[in-house]
Amino acid sequence: MQERILEIKDLFFSFDTYAGEVQAVRGVSLHVNKGETLAIVGESGCGKSVTIQNVMKLIPSPPGRLKSGKIFYCGEDITNYTPKQMQKLRGKEMSMIFQDPMTSLNPTMRIGRQIAEGILKHEKISQAEARDRAVQMLGKVGISNPEKSYRRYPHQFSGGMRQRVMIAMALVCNPKILFADEPTTALDVTTQAQILELINQLKEEFGTSVVIVTHDLGVVARTAERIAVMYAGKVVETGIARDIFYNPKHPYTSGLLESMPSSGKSSKTLTSIPGTPPDLFSPPKGCSFAPRCKYCMKICQEMMPDLIEVENQHSVSCWLMHPQAPKYELPGRKSRFTQNLKEGI
Amino acid sequence: MADHLLEVKGLKKYFRLGKNQVLHAVDDVSFYIDEGRTFGLVGESGCGKTTVGRTIIRLYDADDGQVLFDGVDVHKLKGKEYKQLTRKMQMIFQDPYASLDPRKTVGAIIGEGLKIHKLCRTKQEYSERIYELLEIVGLSREHASRFPHEFSGGQRQRVGIARALAVNPKFIVCDEAISALDVSIQAQIINLLVELQEKLKLTYLFIAHDLNVVRHISDDTAVMYLGKIIEKAETNELFDNPMHPYTIGLLAAAPEADPDYEKNRPHMLMSGEVPSPINPAPVCRFASRCPYARPKCMEAEPELKDIGNNHYVACFKAQEGWI
Repeated sequence: MQERILEIKDLFFSFDTYAGEVQAVRGVSLHVNKGETLAIVGESGCGKSVTIQNVMKLIPSPPGRLKSGKIFYCGEDITNYTPKQMQKLRGKEMSMIFQDPMTSLNPTMRIGRQIAEGILKHEKISQAEARDRAVQMLGKVGISNPEKSYRRYPHQFSGGMRQRVMIAMALVCNPKILFADEPTTALDVTTQAQILELINQLKEEFGTSVVIVTHDLGVVARTAERIAVMYAGKVVETGIARDIFYNPKHPYTSGLLESMPSSGKSSKTLTSIPGTPPDLFSPPKGCSFAPRCKYCMKICQEMMPDLIEVENQHSVSCWLMHPQAPKYELPGRKSRFTQNLKEGI
Repeated sequence: MADHLLEVKGLKKYFRLGKNQVLHAVDDVSFYIDEGRTFGLVGESGCGKTTVGRTIIRLYDADDGQVLFDGVDVHKLKGKEYKQLTRKMQMIFQDPYASLDPRKTVGAIIGEGLKIHKLCRTKQEYSERIYELLEIVGLSREHASRFPHEFSGGQRQRVGIARALAVNPKFIVCDEAISALDVSIQAQIINLLVELQEKLKLTYLFIAHDLNVVRHISDDTAVMYLGKIIEKAETNELFDNPMHPYTIGLLAAAPEADPDYEKNRPHMLMSGEVPSPINPAPVCRFASRCPYARPKCMEAEPELKDIGNNHYVACFKAQEGWI
């Protein structure tokens, strides 16, 4: 049994708005093992960001409201930690990088100080030592001339470089978990490749667990060891990356994989999922994917299916997994690599 | 009747930023598109691909070069003739949230072009046409009286498509038309575009940064870097047999939804970032990042040349066969 760094149990989180209650997260359970990369995948509005922001308690309440659920960090229940207790965790034990590095850096502060701030907050060291650590870290994330860059402002950097600064800031206190919320969405492909490589490399070096939140399945395939697929505020399928990509069990996962253009296919039409995700003001009574699902049965509209483990580490929340349900072979991705191997290329 | 529906010859678009500072957004770009085909234009942000699209439909005036549509130079037309042309060329924009007037109903947005070009004689004909357009793009007629904020991103993009189709254009510029949408919705819109192309014999200029999508939808593809087309070929040829070091790096950087392949593919990281497009020197623009660069690359600018198989590439290495 691997050591679990983080465990979220049955989390319900809502936003109270004038229009009513938005049930953003509706019963999410997941865990992060030590040193692994977990990817949380889903479309916009499925609650993936809310879930991880909630772990670090970054959502103001009100409007946010934790309805129920438990969060364990290294076996300790942090669900009801006070803001003061949380401050000790943030930056030191867990930290986060955001999608847009321009809006998440302080534009009026030199980047070096922004990085050193975290060290000074958490460790009893002198200004000069903190400075040295920050400069060292800037070098590690691949910023050229770290001594000089230390005294620069965020606007003097490009998008990719700012994201490197964010990563330096997040990892400078050597946290156990790094949350990356769409870390490369605002970047170009070549810069994206550099940033993903950097995260991977630092993860190996520091032994940090990484939770990467994204909607890009390509990024997931490149980075993740385990995947949790979210839809309408729930985890619908979770498992090892290879199982999710090549042997998906939930119709949503399968549909998502099929709707991505792939190099091997010649047909001009993509298999798309009809319809749109449900409105989380009034989520459906049964399975939230039922209205868009081509395998939908009567029970799907009546009752929510539980997340059941079907194979080793592979859990699915779908009535098709029920022993009495008809069995379908859901299409997944075909690996170009194994195909090439077979053809001897 | 010209050979090609759209032909771009030596197109240049510079933005003057101040004294002695000229941003070369598009620098000597040439290509053509035949009727009923899709031409993909890819590149990273700031490479000038959007400016190409906008200059073609004359949202910007070109600094030099020609855009020939059906043999007529778009940038020389005036008055009535120009108005006639806008009926034949339309554009679909990237951000479906910003490109629809929030104070107009969807019906009025779609119908604006019909009114301007006086395409409907009676009021009834006008509303019938709007209903027809809504149905073509997969919305229903009740949507005509609603406002854009009542729709999701995918639905808004459908409205944008209906607006473009209203005047029966021959040619549509799709500028990152699907990049603001979620994966499952992207597939719906791609399918819609492909279906409309077959039904209405449309020609597309498809501008995008997502390589997998461009590969799926385009017949021919060109790669842009710092205002220039650096490689151009039939889509499968370009993706299977890229010749320019930048194209090779770009393809290697794009992640594929295939974990086994990702784990075992050679990771070739392109170092550095795109240099500034302000006052570029007349040398190969990729030379500063190119792993194969030789002194020659820093002295002269390679031209876009056919190296066989209708595969054009602007690189000394590819043209002269260095190893």
